[in-house]
Amino acid sequence: LKDEDICQFVLDLCRNEGATDAVVMVMKNEEKMIRFSNNQITVVKNLDETSASIFVQIKEKKVGINVYDLSKTKLKAAVKKAVATAARSQPSDVYAPLPKGPFKYDDRLMKQAGISLDMDILVGNVKEAIDAALKEGGNRIAGSLVGRNAHVTIMTSGDVFARANKSTLELSVRAFANEHASGHSLSIAAKPEDFNPESAGAEAGSLAKLSMNPIQGNPGEFTAILGPLVFADLASQVGRFASAFYVDAGISFLGDKIGDTVASEIVSISDDPSVAGTYGAFPFDAEGMPTRRTPIIEKGVLRNYLHNSTTAKKFNTESTANAGLIVPRPFNLIVEQGNSNIEKMISSIDTGLYLTNDWYLRYQNYKTGDFSTIPRDAMFLIRKGEIDKAVRELRISDNILRILKNVRELSRERKWVKWWEVDIPTLTPAALVESVRFTKSTD
Amino acid sequence: MVDFEDYLKMATDLASNGGASYAEARFQEDTFESNLLKNGVPEVTSFDTKRGISIRVIVDGALGFGATNRMNKKDVRDLVTKVVSFAKEASRMRRSKIQFKEATVGKEKFEIKPRIKFESVSTESRIELLKEADTAAIEAARQVGVALQGRYISLDTAITRKVIMTSDGADIRSYIPRVSIDSILTAFDPQKGYAQRTISLGESSGWEAVERWNLPVRLKDESINLGQILVDAESFESGRYDVVLGPEVVGIVSHESAGHPAEADRILGREAAQAGETYLNKESVGIKIGSEVVTVVDDPTIPHSFGYYLYDDEGVKARRRYLIRNGKINEFLHNRETAYEFGTTSNASSRSVSYDREPIVRMANTFVEPGDYSFKELIEEITNGIYVKNFMEWNIDDRRYNQKYVGLEAYKIENGRMTKRIRNPVIEITTPGLWSAVDAVGKDLEFSAATCGKGDPMQGVPVWTGGPHIRLRGICVGGSA
Repeated sequence: LKDEDICQFVLDLCRNEGATDAVVMVMKNEEKMIRFSNNQITVVKNLDETSASIFVQIKEKKVGINVYDLSKTKLKAAVKKAVATAARSQPSDVYAPLPKGPFKYDDRLMKQAGISLDMDILVGNVKEAIDAALKEGGNRIAGSLVGRNAHVTIMTSGDVFARANKSTLELSVRAFANEHASGHSLSIAAKPEDFNPESAGAEAGSLAKLSMNPIQGNPGEFTAILGPLVFADLASQVGRFASAFYVDAGISFLGDKIGDTVASEIVSISDDPSVAGTYGAFPFDAEGMPTRRTPIIEKGVLRNYLHNSTTAKKFNTESTANAGLIVPRPFNLIVEQGNSNIEKMISSIDTGLYLTNDWYLRYQNYKTGDFSTIPRDAMFLIRKGEIDKAVRELRISDNILRILKNVRELSRERKWVKWWEVDIPTLTPAALVESVRFTKSTD
Repeated sequence: MVDFEDYLKMATDLASNGGASYAEARFQEDTFESNLLKNGVPEVTSFDTKRGISIRVIVDGALGFGATNRMNKKDVRDLVTKVVSFAKEASRMRRSKIQFKEATVGKEKFEIKPRIKFESVSTESRIELLKEADTAAIEAARQVGVALQGRYISLDTAITRKVIMTSDGADIRSYIPRVSIDSILTAFDPQKGYAQRTISLGESSGWEAVERWNLPVRLKDESINLGQILVDAESFESGRYDVVLGPEVVGIVSHESAGHPAEADRILGREAAQAGETYLNKESVGIKIGSEVVTVVDDPTIPHSFGYYLYDDEGVKARRRYLIRNGKINEFLHNRETAYEFGTTSNASSRSVSYDREPIVRMANTFVEPGDYSFKELIEEITNGIYVKNFMEWNIDDRRYNQKYVGLEAYKIENGRMTKRIRNPVIEITTPGLWSAVDAVGKDLEFSAATCGKGDPMQGVPVWTGGPHIRLRGICVGGSA
């Protein structure tokens, strides 16, 4: 069966079994990954996968089912199980019919060209990154490169039918100059011409070299420059917890704050999967609605939560085309640029810190936004407007909203970030933040 | 049910004929049902049957892995050809040759037989249970004067079937049912603000585990406690205290600062760009990292544990691993690849979470081995101390050296007695600082369920973390507002 035939077959079955609403999505994914460490390839991986995701509603009753065996027999069994379970289920509190199509989608998003997953080219990309990192001062280089061609077909009971390709390249590279000196950089792209393994490798190697001979950092409140990888981690937390689902569940620090000032007036964060040619661009959400730009924070003020049809009805608003069928989610976060740069920021600081990466962000309380995260890789002490020394072994122990409100400057230059720690593609500048709270181990 | 054994055999033969010095083929099927209740409302029931075949090979000293769910001979054959060819291509960028240490591999079947099968428990009764627990939680919070504003409760059942065959003769078949419940409760008081508690229960077991957990009573107790924490817990002076850590905290400490650092693939730098490295190195066996009373183990063979298995995904028989023994680093967690590099043998730490993920070095159930102190004995010798029963926030650096735990339910200990509740005690400490401060270990033993994240792509595997109560002398504890 062709993908659209599978969709039609399943959709007809859902209707016949008694579903009031149904979404069928067939996903084909071809993925190659090269992982490397100690300057050589650790493992190459190849994934060929086709699966179908079926979602049925009988008014307020909802059931989802993922199927990896796409034979007619299994699909039929899956639909029967889904609809029968929905029929017996207890109702949710809201019934929102699926959005009524057909919709017009942005051609530029629909017709994304596939990328070559030729192993020879991908191995060449890895070699470029490693060589550049070594040249700039790294000794030991590790990372991963992923190339992906996905094809998605969607059909819904709301007369939606659409097909789209999504192709991405993603490189994460970490260089070590010695045991306590490392740098991390990335290149992510939807087009080969935007993919730059060499510059990512060079940046990682250069940061590793600059961070040699670090001293122990001191705890306290400092003005800090949060490089793009760090600020992307915070911005992606904003994106994630802007989901109306988490707000409703009482586990979002953005809850009950629409219209409130939640950040400095220079902070604007939106979700925009409609920017053609970017990593997280995609024409439709999981309900088939055409994607669009949704401001989350505008000039420091919280403007919108991210919605699907159900959460929108519950919050008495419109869907922002961010379905997730149950949990709305951001696809492609964009933080507006400022007019500074990292050099200017450094020169404006008397005593402070410059962080290039962080990881392991955990909350003490999702509702209040109290959290901590650990600076990782190159981190520098700034004294009298200049980088003084590399430092290590500090932790940010603060509150997300407090940090956002203390943002004083943003850089003009921005970077696309997505890696192990930041799983939502995020375009972000570096940020200069006042009074960031740093702690460290005491014994 | 067909297990596609013929395909697995075909895949390893084809890979070997294509030049692979090692080939491993795995069929894995994971069948899930998830039920989600948010603020008392059933959100969705989800079903998922994820199944497919993977192949892993060593060709010319390079490692290749591939997976597909297109389960016909042609697609499996094409996959093997691709994976062998890609590994050959990758061997261009290998100075050293990857080899797997020889192992006595098994030809065995292991399974957990559920007393109550998941399929005998209807979706309706699952939701009914969650609603009953939700109601009990709200009522309990009300009794202590707080509103339980956010309640998120998910119930997941999963059945994992694996068949693993290797070119050197392993033939392992397993059937593991697992059940877990995760909940986040948010309590609110207009004067005091918010307090949150995350609860994770999990076992490799049938539905009988859920009956034993008695979720309504469990959530009722948790809600009362959370409400009391919110209303009664007081700020306190930062300073140096004797500290008793409860099993939940000891579990996360064992996992983060004894288990992860002992993963041999981290020591070799294989995870450097993702989950990070470790403060340990190849020569660290025998170094002193804690006091003599500290012994930390990882053991996949505990019946009904969340991280249970008897043979790993490379066909090696599992056993208890002594990571720290009497305060000294004793052994690392190995698969056959790292065992070769270290000149030792695999201790069966190779796990994969699904058919399309590479098996890598993982923990299973990591905990401090019990000692001989009762809880009363642990606290009665403390003049000025703190008892941290459980936690919310935690993290650790990527060398597994600097860690932070923020207590949720916590008490002052004064002159051998627990007195008032205290708010959010912060322990921020190095790994040797923590383990070296332990002077007494309780004789109790409790486990918590968790999902451990590692690998690229990320693999979340079920684990238990646990231990007895332990006592630490004179460590710094940060106070809070």
